Amino acid sequence: MGARALNLSYRNRELFYLAVVGVLTGLGFASVYIARQSEVSWGSLGYALFFFALYLIAHLVTRLTVPNADPYLLPMAGLLTAVGVTEIYRLGNADAFKQGLWIVIGVGLYALALWGLRRDYRVLEQYKYLFGIGAIALLFLPRVPGIGTTVNGARLWVHVGSFRFQPGEFSKIFLIVFLAAYLREKREALAQARLKDVGPLLVIWGGCMLVLVSSNDLGSGLLYFGIFLSMLYVATARLSFVIGGIALFLAGGFVAYEKIAHVHERVTIWLHPWTSTKVYCPSTGGLALRQDCESYQLVKSIYSIGNGGFGGTGLGKGTFTTTDGHQLIPYVNSDFIYSALAQELGLIGAAALLLVFMLFVARGMKIALQADDGFSKLLAAGLTFGFALQTFIIVGGVLRIIPLTGITLPFVSYGGSSVVANFLLLAGLLLVSNRANTHQ
Amino acid sequence: MTPWQPLASAQVETTLLALKLAFLVLLYLFIWRIVRSAARDLRLPQESMILAPQQAAAAGLIPQPAARELGRLVVVSSPTFQDGAAFTLDSHPLTIGRAVNNDVSMPDDEYASGRHARFEPRRDGVWVEDIGSTNGTFVNGIRLTRERKLVPGDVVRVGETDLRFEP
Repeated sequence: MGARALNLSYRNRELFYLAVVGVLTGLGFASVYIARQSEVSWGSLGYALFFFALYLIAHLVTRLTVPNADPYLLPMAGLLTAVGVTEIYRLGNADAFKQGLWIVIGVGLYALALWGLRRDYRVLEQYKYLFGIGAIALLFLPRVPGIGTTVNGARLWVHVGSFRFQPGEFSKIFLIVFLAAYLREKREALAQARLKDVGPLLVIWGGCMLVLVSSNDLGSGLLYFGIFLSMLYVATARLSFVIGGIALFLAGGFVAYEKIAHVHERVTIWLHPWTSTKVYCPSTGGLALRQDCESYQLVKSIYSIGNGGFGGTGLGKGTFTTTDGHQLIPYVNSDFIYSALAQELGLIGAAALLLVFMLFVARGMKIALQADDGFSKLLAAGLTFGFALQTFIIVGGVLRIIPLTGITLPFVSYGGSSVVANFLLLAGLLLVSNRANTHQ
Repeated sequence: MTPWQPLASAQVETTLLALKLAFLVLLYLFIWRIVRSAARDLRLPQESMILAPQQAAAAGLIPQPAARELGRLVVVSSPTFQDGAAFTLDSHPLTIGRAVNNDVSMPDDEYASGRHARFEPRRDGVWVEDIGSTNGTFVNGIRLTRERKLVPGDVVRVGETDLRFEP
């Protein structure tokens, strides 16, 4: 492990860590494969080699386009997607194949974004209103009759032919670009809080919040609110905005709790997942214990984490189905992948994963610190906050620290739009990092 | 894709345990290396992520920095401005061009593009950059192909306007 001792350049260091990630992927797949079939075969190594080759391509594009960018972000993203795809493969082959395809698309768009913006990504600043309106339009897309699809009570999907995606994931990135450009330009005026300057901001952000709340997508609502507040603070350094925002959020949350049944249900599940007497069950209309009805998914996920214990059951050996083959946790490979990983890797492995997320955020913050101009600073800070908050909202929800709201775990969860959007987020951070390091 | 050979169940258990240990050890080594490099960064002087030092200073959050005037752009000749007029460069970027939404707008300069050039103060000085103009931005008569750091006395030509950078 002598990457620094050898005094490697940034890109060689990145290659070195990617090789480590490749070995980790191989170990993970081999473990799942052996646990399932009791035999070693080349098939397990094939997956690992495929991913290593894919990341090698990503690495080469990075080397060509942003040679001075941070060397740790790409390997960390690689590790998270590899761990995710290993677990998804373990839970079901078909989904793992699709996820693999989405990762290929993600890496492709990552390469395109780096290539297209390698000279100066700050051209994006000129199209800020396009990004702002685009953010709302993307959020609104699932409402359009004919292409919108409702899944699990939230209308978040768009389908074109057999191709389905969640535009909300991209809307998040658009909103961050808009906020970065807008706040950079208007920050002095905003610090004085004149309505004229705050207007467009409130229109676009308010529009996003309205669409999210009305489509029951509470996790994203929370995410957008957090991104907005943190970027506003970075731009203006006014603590009063943050305090006011949090007060507003608490007030809004309380009203939503009182008035919206869906929100009320989520909070009840969070505070009292178990009941000892039968209570009303909205899905059947009859009476049932809450752990058998509304909080079934959350409770089963907590059992899954508990079953992992300190060291975990080992990859491929966890329990996710009943003896007659029913899946225990619905949507275990997207929203609940963290509880699946916590079972198989144990506390020690789940903690390692959270550490990787934290380090990713730390590198992002460092890029925001290093960036020279306001737009770059805000862009890096916004992308990092978005990533951090999303991780916190879903892991916090799964661990019952906050009420559970369905959202994907970045890079790990099954879900094409999420993976692709996160690769674009990674490209953004690397572009800012490359520029900051080049000018030092 | 030929399987090597089926393993006995005791062998499976041992292999899986070995794989699990190897996986976790490697994972933590990976994390350790990145933490090491992040820890090195902490020893370097810290910069702020906050964009608005003025407001933060007013709120008493950070010590008041000395008022930073990083230089001035003095008009040498221009169809729009009087000679000798000056624009102050402080801590944020300044754009120049024919459109009214620039920091310095010169509607009468026929040869300037809508958004022409940007002056950007950085830690090491003021940099100038062409932001996609049609006729180019010149520093001391040489057309900019990439951004460039200004030294006192440099004359920047935007359209038909000449500006001299003074500290």
